[in-house]
Amino acid sequence: MLRVHEFSIAEALAAQVQRHAPAAGRVTEVDITVGALRGLEPEALRMSWEAVTHGTPIAGATLNVDLRPWTITCSTCGRTWPSPVPFVACECGDPSPVPTAGDELDLVALTIEEES
Amino acid sequence: MAEAAQTTRIPLVERVLEANDEVAAANRAELQRRGIFSIDLIGAPGSGKTALLEATLRALEGRRHPAVLVGDLATRRDGDRLARWCDKVIQISTGQGCHLEASQVRDALAQIELGQVDLLFIENVGNLICPVGFDLGQSAKVGLFSLTEGDDKAAKHPYLVEAADLILLNKIDLMPHLSFDRRSFEADVRLLNPRVPILDVSATTGEGLDAWIAWLDR
Repeated sequence: MLRVHEFSIAEALAAQVQRHAPAAGRVTEVDITVGALRGLEPEALRMSWEAVTHGTPIAGATLNVDLRPWTITCSTCGRTWPSPVPFVACECGDPSPVPTAGDELDLVALTIEEES
Repeated sequence: MAEAAQTTRIPLVERVLEANDEVAAANRAELQRRGIFSIDLIGAPGSGKTALLEATLRALEGRRHPAVLVGDLATRRDGDRLARWCDKVIQISTGQGCHLEASQVRDALAQIELGQVDLLFIENVGNLICPVGFDLGQSAKVGLFSLTEGDDKAAKHPYLVEAADLILLNKIDLMPHLSFDRRSFEADVRLLNPRVPILDVSATTGEGLDAWIAWLDR
């Protein structure tokens, strides 16, 4: 079952990629960057992407998702580290270091294959 | 020999929801020009969004001039409930859509005589994830949580907590009956959004509504 959350993002992305796609040539890869704050699951995004691009000129294009993790900052020991989840304890014993993440959702590159 | 295919990587920097964001910016400019303070109310199904708006409209009656846009998947029930308290209610049926988009708000606003309106409530579709990422052009995002959802609901939805300009904790009248850890809820909120106001309310008993109305009147 697709989660509609990723589905609507995939729909917007597919429309955007089709606007950029050249008439001659095929889009083979689509690179996006996603901040952890968005709460998007790359696998669900890829499944939604396959579904929404099916039967369109960009069908078969691979979606590469660069998921930017949370940054955890511990105010007790000063340590900073990346984490896939926001609420984690610090190894120094502080139970609640501060999570921060971006909410970027950007199309960063297209790879086009042209017959020569 | 087979034809060689040439691959080119084209770098871009473009927001995926740029089209929505552009419409949202136009909505925001229009609402600001008219002096309309607007709220995107985001909460889970059953958190009491419609009940809160009913109580709010009742409290504002005769004093403010609100309009309401209600997003719902399929029914008109929420809109019908609110129409008892406000003569400017537009129901937006989203069908399969799990959130409102800026273009739906633009189209709904076109159906309202906005001349008298000074306050706009947008009741988003019951969902704590999708609506957060779609800017509608609102002045403020209000995150509505309720006691019956459990005290870890904020921690599980960091995007809404981080993006909210106000957090409302509804059904506070049920506190004696539930094992809701109010301090733990607030601690999670504070880690993600240190300065957001948190107001305890009960749409049913009216408890705490004064503070919410005062926040709207600021």
